[in-house]
Amino acid sequence: MNAGKPMKYFRLGLAILAMTGSALAHHSFAVYDHTRTLNLTGSVARWQWTNPHAYLDIDVKDAKGAVKRYVLEGTSINMMQRNGWRSNMIKHGDQIKVVFAPLLTGEPAGLLLEVTLANGEKKELPVPAINTFKRTPDQVQP
Amino acid sequence: MNSRKRLFIALFVAFITFSELAVAQAPSGIPDISGSWERAREASIPAQGQPPLKPQFMKEWQVRQQAARDASAKGAPIAERVVHCLPDGMPGMMAGPFPMEILQSKGQVTIIQEAYTQVRRIQLDKQQKPVDDVEPGFYGNSVGRWEGNTLVVDTVGVRENVRYQNVPHSKDLHIRERFSLGANGILRDEITMEDPTIFEKPWTFTFGYRRMPDYLLLEYICEDNRQYTDEKGIQQIRVQPAK
Repeated sequence: MNAGKPMKYFRLGLAILAMTGSALAHHSFAVYDHTRTLNLTGSVARWQWTNPHAYLDIDVKDAKGAVKRYVLEGTSINMMQRNGWRSNMIKHGDQIKVVFAPLLTGEPAGLLLEVTLANGEKKELPVPAINTFKRTPDQVQP
Repeated sequence: MNSRKRLFIALFVAFITFSELAVAQAPSGIPDISGSWERAREASIPAQGQPPLKPQFMKEWQVRQQAARDASAKGAPIAERVVHCLPDGMPGMMAGPFPMEILQSKGQVTIIQEAYTQVRRIQLDKQQKPVDDVEPGFYGNSVGRWEGNTLVVDTVGVRENVRYQNVPHSKDLHIRERFSLGANGILRDEITMEDPTIFEKPWTFTFGYRRMPDYLLLEYICEDNRQYTDEKGIQQIRVQPAK
C-alpha cells in the first residue's frame, strides 16, 4: 500500500472540514430539501429586492379560486446583479414560472433556483452549490 | 562639442539621475494595490489542520462545530450572526466572499468589503495603542507600515464575540498581516492570529486576491431579513412577510 495514501485522505478530510466550516459561517440553505424540486406557475404578489437575500412571494389559485401564497428565498442581490439580474425584471402581478427546493417543514416556501420571466426568458439564481439540489419535475398542485 | 551642448548634456544627465533617485525614495515606490479585488482561492493557503487552541478551548470549539454540523444535517441549522445582519468583522471580512476595494491615501490604507459594507482603516506609521485603550469593535484598531514591498499591519481590539470560524479569542488578540503583491498580479494577505491566552501557538493562513479591473463595488444594505432566530437558536424563515 502506498504510504502517502492515508495522509492524502487525511488532507482531503481536513479540506472537507474546512469547507464545512466556511459554509456554516454564512447563510445556511440546510432548511431546504436537497432531494427534490417543485415547479409552479403563479402571480407575483411581492418581489423583495433586498440583502442579505431577495424574496419572491407568488400566489397560486386553485380550481375553486382560493389563493395560496408561496414564499421563495433568493440569494444576495449583489450576487444576482453580478449574474445579470436587475430589480425591474420582475413586477407585481407578473405571471411567472419558478423552480424551487421546498422548505423541509412543509410550509409553502422554498429556495428559488430558476425563474421563467413574464417575457419567457429563463434565468437561474446564483445559488452556491446549486448542483447539490436534485431537480425533479414535480408540479405544485393547486 | 560647444559649451552650450555640453551644458545641455550635463543638465540632462543630472535630470535623469535625480528623477531616478526621486522614484526610488518617494512613496511612489510603494506598490499600487488600490482598486477592486476578488478572492483567488487557488492563491490562498488555508490554515493547516484545526486552529491551535489550548485543550480546554479546543474541546468547546469541537463540540460547538459538531453541534452545528448535526443541526444542519437535520435541516434545522443553528442561526449565525448574518441572520441578524451582522458583519464578519476581522479577520473574516478578508475572506470575502464578495469583492473588496482597497484605497491608498496619505497616511491610510482603507479596505471596503462589499458584503455588509464593511470598512477597515489602516493608519500608516502610527504606534499601536495598548489593547485596553481601544474600544472593542468588529474591525479593531489597525496600524501598518511598508517594509519594502510588504504592507505589515497589526490589529488589536476585536470584540471577543466577533469570531472567525467560531474560533474563540481573548481581548488580547493580535492579528498580524503581511500584504504583498506578486509579479503575477496576485495580492496576498498572510494573516497570523496571536493570542497566548487561548492559542497554543499562532494561527496562520493566507488569502489570495486577483484584480477586477472594471468592477465598481455595489452597495450592500441588510434590510427586512425574513430569516430569523427562534427561541432555540435555530434559523427559521418568516413565511408571512412583515406588514
